[in-house]
Amino acid sequence: MSEGGPEREDDRIRAAEYALGLLAEAEAEAFATRLRDDPELRAEYALWATHLAGLADGDKVTPPARVWQGIETGLFGFAPAAPGRSRWRYWGGWGLGAALAGMLVVLLLYVGPFGPPTVSQAELVAHIEAESGDLRVLAGYDAATGQLEVSRIAGEPAPGRSFELWLIAGDAAPVSLGLLPERARGVLRVPDALGPQMAGATLAISDEPAGGSPTGQPTGAVLAAGQVITAS
Amino acid sequence: MVTRADIEDMLARTAMGDRAAFAGLYRATSAKLFGVALRILNDRGEAEEVLQEVFVRIWHKADRYRANGLSPMTWLITVARNLSIDRLRRLRAAGAAQGGDPDAAVAQLADPAPGPEAQIVAAGERTRLDACLDELDGARAGAVRGAYLEGLSYAELAVRHEVPLNTMRTWLRRSLLKLRECLSR
Repeated sequence: MSEGGPEREDDRIRAAEYALGLLAEAEAEAFATRLRDDPELRAEYALWATHLAGLADGDKVTPPARVWQGIETGLFGFAPAAPGRSRWRYWGGWGLGAALAGMLVVLLLYVGPFGPPTVSQAELVAHIEAESGDLRVLAGYDAATGQLEVSRIAGEPAPGRSFELWLIAGDAAPVSLGLLPERARGVLRVPDALGPQMAGATLAISDEPAGGSPTGQPTGAVLAAGQVITAS
Repeated sequence: MVTRADIEDMLARTAMGDRAAFAGLYRATSAKLFGVALRILNDRGEAEEVLQEVFVRIWHKADRYRANGLSPMTWLITVARNLSIDRLRRLRAAGAAQGGDPDAAVAQLADPAPGPEAQIVAAGERTRLDACLDELDGARAGAVRGAYLEGLSYAELAVRHEVPLNTMRTWLRRSLLKLRECLSR
């Protein structure tokens, strides 16, 4: 933008029109492209956006709890898996789940808990089990979709508490993968950045306050753990 | 008290898929952003749905906020405002299509009296921009607010203010330059 000239005036108007949403689609796209390469124009847009935000910024109103529940369900798939996306849908509940659990134990005997880690497209599974057997969860990870399907075979959180699932890769601190769904089966979404760390990692379940750990790290007892291994 | 640095930190961690940080960001900002959606939509049910869209957008785009040079809070309010306006425009279009009556569509553009929700949430602090808008002719200040808070286009503003489209454009652009001068004073 040149100092003081009509071009600068034009850019000021454009930036304001962009912030107000008054530009036609093609014009808005062209402006957005210019924004990327022109720091002065960005500053001009930021000035308008900041002042205009003040117009919309009224009193705070606490939203009802269902809004956050809706966000979690929408993003992290606490609802049942979408039909047709998964071979896990063939389980048909407990019987097959238990059968697969048995298969996994056999698999563990053959491959060993330190079986060859892989980050290929192969589906990864984990059998997350408490020593007592009171809590048993099967997890299957599809690297292509980033979906982690979980099926709780035994165990329930204490009243007012939640089960939270953690990814522990090597010596790294646990990273939360979210709360286990309240239903026995559901799907969690593993953030893309964590996908490559799944193979060979440990999945663990901790006992947390309802809604999950307030600190981002496990705060309650670790109840069950299991290693992620290749399914085939 | 949540500081700007706290929000920046929570956004950065949210961008890396940290769900605890995302929940913290929701706790820190959802009341403010719900206020924005209510101010624009003036309907609790619609505002709740938009607030969900806002946080889904934040989860997916948390790494983008620096791109336009905005402060984290301005970015969050802008996301909430833009999604609220998108919905308001859809509701207006649906209303017009349903009525099928062009007069009804124009009537919808009449300057609305703020409803009870809007009156509550509009009671916030007066800003520098409010002071500068006061220096403009009332109708012109109303046009700026109409564009930002109601998502009205130049054509819709022209209808509301009963002036030809080109006149509307000229007037609003002049008003924006005046505002810009006032803001940098």
